[in-house]
Amino acid sequence: MTRVRVTAPHASPGGPGRGGPRPLESREAAQDTEVGQVFVRSLIRSQLRLALVVAGGFLLILAAFPLVLVAVPGLADTKIAGIPFDWLLLGLGIYPVIGLSAWLYVRSAARNEARYRDLAGEQ
Amino acid sequence: MRRATATWPANNEPGGTGRPGGAAVNAGVAITAVAVVSLATAVIGFYGLRISRTTGDFYVASRTVRPWWNASAIGGEYLSAASFLGVAGLILLSGTDALWFPVGYTAGYLMLLLFVAAPLRRSGAYTIPDFTESRLASRTVRRVTSLVVVMVGWLYIVPQLHGAALAIRITTGLPSWVGSVAVVVVVCLTVAAGGMRSITFVQAFQYWLKLTALAVPILFIVFVLAGQGTQPLAPAAVNPTGAAPAGPYQNISLLVALLFGTLGLPHVLVRFYTNPDGHTARRTTLIVLGLLSVFYLFPTAYGLVARMFAPDLARSGQPDAMVLRLPGEFLGGTAGSLLSALVVAGAFAAFLSTTSGLVVSLAGVISQDVLGGSVRGFRLAAVVSAVVPLGFAFMTDSLALAGSVGLVFAFTASTVCPVLLLGIWWRGLTDTGAIAGMVTGGVLCGGAMIAGSLALAGSGQTPAWLAQPAAWSVPTAFAVMVLVSRATAHRIPATMPRTMTRLHTPERPLATGR
Repeated sequence: MTRVRVTAPHASPGGPGRGGPRPLESREAAQDTEVGQVFVRSLIRSQLRLALVVAGGFLLILAAFPLVLVAVPGLADTKIAGIPFDWLLLGLGIYPVIGLSAWLYVRSAARNEARYRDLAGEQ
Repeated sequence: MRRATATWPANNEPGGTGRPGGAAVNAGVAITAVAVVSLATAVIGFYGLRISRTTGDFYVASRTVRPWWNASAIGGEYLSAASFLGVAGLILLSGTDALWFPVGYTAGYLMLLLFVAAPLRRSGAYTIPDFTESRLASRTVRRVTSLVVVMVGWLYIVPQLHGAALAIRITTGLPSWVGSVAVVVVVCLTVAAGGMRSITFVQAFQYWLKLTALAVPILFIVFVLAGQGTQPLAPAAVNPTGAAPAGPYQNISLLVALLFGTLGLPHVLVRFYTNPDGHTARRTTLIVLGLLSVFYLFPTAYGLVARMFAPDLARSGQPDAMVLRLPGEFLGGTAGSLLSALVVAGAFAAFLSTTSGLVVSLAGVISQDVLGGSVRGFRLAAVVSAVVPLGFAFMTDSLALAGSVGLVFAFTASTVCPVLLLGIWWRGLTDTGAIAGMVTGGVLCGGAMIAGSLALAGSGQTPAWLAQPAAWSVPTAFAVMVLVSRATAHRIPATMPRTMTRLHTPERPLATGR
């Protein structure tokens, strides 16, 4: 079977012109030690916690939107520039919430990784 | 202003567009628009061919695609017939209930960003079967995953071809099959010729085309309506067909399907391998979320305008065609004709881009698993991946586009999603558990789809729990996967710690510090 693997991340020679050892090697070096594994586990845990918190927060806000419309009578029929409020809320208002959640997550996830890199780099 | 006289006749006979003035667009203009989009797609595809030379280029664009290009391409690929035609049609029919569709399609990408984007990129796998095989160290898991992925892809291509058939029939009066066949031919040519590199450019171009094609006509329409001080015929809350609104169960189940279905779509995942690293994968997804949010404002606007100013479009029996007809309803003459042609062009871009994205990812799976991974195998697999769903499309009738795509999301959420989420985040997943969960989810969700369509054929009604199976099929699939993995914990592969490290740690070399 002549299966050609063209896709392993660092299989191609002349990859991105970084100095030093190839990233995959150093990444895998990190998990060969006990301490390395502890760091990896704690990184995974903090990334998962972050993702769950952002997802949970977003879903709560999402659930709150229709509940607000039901709870406040007359709100759904209020018009802004001729457009009913429930349409504005569900058709327009949710998107900034999605974008904001995503932005917060990307920032925090990168920070978690930077912290891991500092810890693992000090070994 | 033709709105006052042109009440749309409530007939939906297949050839109903042959009447003078019956077609939403001047047929010649529409055919030209479709031809131009197809030609542009092919030209960009062939242009890309000159850049792609090696096998690596052919498969994943050598991972050199910039985030903005890549994000536009992801958006272009993701916005399918369901988004372009189906969402607006459904909003016209069901009002604010249908607004959950665009919200779910976008929020699905948020879930993808949170749980999948960076780890999957770092896994270094190209297809979902590659991922499951390397994570679980099992060829059998690979085969089951491949099977599921191919089913998802085919199920997803069929509504695109239905959409193409509808658009061609409505706008040109040509027979339906012309639309489906045209899409398949153009897609086969571009994919087989250029592989992934040219596809990236094609998709990116098609995102912007789709956005323009929806935005310009609706802005014109709103401008004309406001300028003439036209009063709404009906308030937005009034349902034009008098159908019962969806209950909370259906809305919640739909959201489950859309939120968790997106992160298992094969054509979406393939895109992430073209990012140079995990962090870029996240940044790309962030841009995609922005692009999707902007895009979905427009189908919502179409739905709202149609509901308030042209509710009779809902009674034509083809709400999916509403977007195609709306410009002609309000703007007469050349302007109306040109804007309608723009919409048709955008719709075709949607069919082409989603279908080619799916065909690329399916061809990747089929050629690696069956045909040995060569470039020739990829081309052959591409043709197979496109022609089989064409057969399905001929045999089946078009449902509401947004609805049938929603079912595909439910299927993905019940099969691919659990194996990805647990594989990325849970050390305890085993090959046996993964297979048991995927099979359970696939059988439950597939069974519900079949039973639902039988019920529809029998009594004309589908019970809510069959129409939207995600709320129970997704948790069951997760539960089976976890329980069986627990019972077979001795099968956790020895490579697991190494794989988990690779999935989650940043790519920057550690030894050189920062």
